[in-house]
Amino acid sequence: MSFKEWEAVVNIIAAIVIGAWVIFEALTNPPATVAAVAGRLLWAILYVVLFNIAAMIVMSILVSIARREEFKDEKADERDKAVGMKGMRNAYLVASIAGVASLFTLAFGADPAEAAYVLFGGLMLAGVVDAGSRLVYYRIG
Amino acid sequence: MGKGQARIDNTIRTLRFNAGEMTQAALAEKVGVTRQTIVAMEQGRYSPSLEVAFRVARAFGVPLEQVFQYRGEGE
Repeated sequence: MSFKEWEAVVNIIAAIVIGAWVIFEALTNPPATVAAVAGRLLWAILYVVLFNIAAMIVMSILVSIARREEFKDEKADERDKAVGMKGMRNAYLVASIAGVASLFTLAFGADPAEAAYVLFGGLMLAGVVDAGSRLVYYRIG
Repeated sequence: MGKGQARIDNTIRTLRFNAGEMTQAALAEKVGVTRQTIVAMEQGRYSPSLEVAFRVARAFGVPLEQVFQYRGEGE
């Protein structure tokens, strides 16, 4: 697998790990206010970024050791850009649906905290769809 | 990159062989794309832009149609 494919795998793992943490915290230690929920979700987004950075460093080191040569990213070419755009297009669709779903959640009188969770979950799913799409397009062309 | 089977064939593998078994990495360097893109092109999983196609042909010093051949609908 290329560096960019590994990057997509790491993106998916990060979204799953942090998403699972958010769900676990929501079930076992639910925040009292909407502001607290939003704050926790913002922290989760920061954790996703940090997890991605740390995991990419670890992955690069491990693959470099396994291959016995430096494993580093290459400058994106036209194929990388085309794959990236297709992934973003799919992710945009999911993020748009998540936005509408969160509005529907509010429209039906649900707790705003639930709408925040719906929006967050949709955005995490969009990230997974983006990374998953990139993996598929790199494989099938 | 498109839906279904690629309708553009190429002879990059043969041309690399004829060029003294030029490596994919060396060709990628000459063309200005990643090695993965050369691999995808050889396997027919990616049809490059016209500009990259010309650069591939120039890397081998042959006309474009010697590198890429278009298969029409249903061929």
